[in-house]
Amino acid sequence: MLDVGRHPNIELMAYSELKGLEGDAGNFTAKVLKKARYVDADKCTGCGACVEVCPTPVSDLYNEGHADRKAVYSWFAQGIPSTHAIDTDHCRVFQGKRCGICAKKCEADAINFDQTEETVELNVGAVVVATGYDVFDPGKIPEYRYKTLDNVITAMEFERFLSASGPTEGHLYRPSDRKLKAEKADLEKTLAKSAKALARFEKKHGMTSKNFLVALTTNTLELTDDLAKDAEKWAAKAKDHKSKDDRLTALAQKADAVTTAKKIAFIQCVGSRDLRFYPFCSGYCCMHAIKEAIIAHEHDNDTESSIFGMDIRAVGKGFEEYKIRGGNASQITYKRSRVAEIVRGENENPVLIYEDTAQQKIVKEPFDLVVLSTACAPVKGTQDIADTLGVDLDKFGFFKTDAANPLDTTRDGIFVCGCAHSPMDIPESVAQASSAAARAVQAIMKSKKAS
Amino acid sequence: MTDNILVLGGGIAGIQSSLDLAEMGFKVHLVEKLPSIGGKMAQLDKTFPTNDCAI
Repeated sequence: MLDVGRHPNIELMAYSELKGLEGDAGNFTAKVLKKARYVDADKCTGCGACVEVCPTPVSDLYNEGHADRKAVYSWFAQGIPSTHAIDTDHCRVFQGKRCGICAKKCEADAINFDQTEETVELNVGAVVVATGYDVFDPGKIPEYRYKTLDNVITAMEFERFLSASGPTEGHLYRPSDRKLKAEKADLEKTLAKSAKALARFEKKHGMTSKNFLVALTTNTLELTDDLAKDAEKWAAKAKDHKSKDDRLTALAQKADAVTTAKKIAFIQCVGSRDLRFYPFCSGYCCMHAIKEAIIAHEHDNDTESSIFGMDIRAVGKGFEEYKIRGGNASQITYKRSRVAEIVRGENENPVLIYEDTAQQKIVKEPFDLVVLSTACAPVKGTQDIADTLGVDLDKFGFFKTDAANPLDTTRDGIFVCGCAHSPMDIPESVAQASSAAARAVQAIMKSKKAS
Repeated sequence: MTDNILVLGGGIAGIQSSLDLAEMGFKVHLVEKLPSIGGKMAQLDKTFPTNDCAI
């Protein structure tokens, strides 16, 4: 990534979109829209001082929504370019509120709320399309209850949990337990506020709230004029405080019992090899699940994983050995089964209902955490990109190619690689990317010869 | 006639294509819709089968 940022032959146009492509192979004119970042790329040093003072938290999609970023942000910490951007959907200034604290804080004077988007025209000889993929939305599969069970997550979400720079700093705290702790922290704040309010009454009337409530309920309260004025309010506040305090005690007990996830289930082919969604095999998910199970075991040697699949497809150099090593050394059990349903169990544990085909038995088994190995879906907006490029898509929504020219799209001079082509893993994407680069050069050479 | 090449998408595939082309001496315009490049691979912690860090 860093090499891309500083290579003299690469003009990096991040936060930009292709808006038009005219001409032919060897001589295309591309229109590219450079969206407004509202941060001057020439001035921004990427120091992040603006992020520290920005008052607006926004769900962080880089962390799959399990952490917050700010309305002024960099996509992720090591992002290239490091120039920040302002999210106009959330920034207070763009919502018509008073703010602009980031501009005051920025020593480089890089924040510019008046920046405008810009369209540039580029003359290019060939195009390489590497627009990638989207994680399949498992919410479309009702029996897996992804939307209602907190502890059913996607493999990409799990990836963020495993990461030392992720929302849990690499510790496997379950989403339901994180919610519980967040609720506890919120409640503590609310209680601190209401304790202050109660303290004012207590000081004024020289009595603890507890004694006041007891006296009130036993009708032994000596009502002075002052107290009569406050009694109703004080009683309501004191009762509310007590109920919240009881709730906090219950939450604290639960929070103390929280441990990291130790028993993890991985479900394969979620959205792939499923005639309701995508009939194809997404290729990388078996190995992805094995890798995640191995890393989870590396983090905590008590972790046990079960990988549920029709079969484990470890097709690649060193992959089968990796699978066996995982099974032997990382407490991974491979179970031949297509999980029928996930239901809510005790302690927010997802319970898997599946047929153990080796035992020929229907099993109901609780797990701490369930990870769904989701399909590799065509990226949202691929049709628009294809329309702009003037190329066709295949029946699934990936770029159309044919077997004899696997990287050539339906328009001369435009090539495709990576998951925009079809589902594939990183080594294959890298190999295809180099091939597509070579094809692009060939197209330029061919048009030069012809002219 | 031009030696410039447009690469759409700054994930691992787009990055690899761009670097190859740039090393060959071609001028590359790398267009990415998000504020920074890296794509899905930048979200990964480690990669199989070597457990190397993704970024």
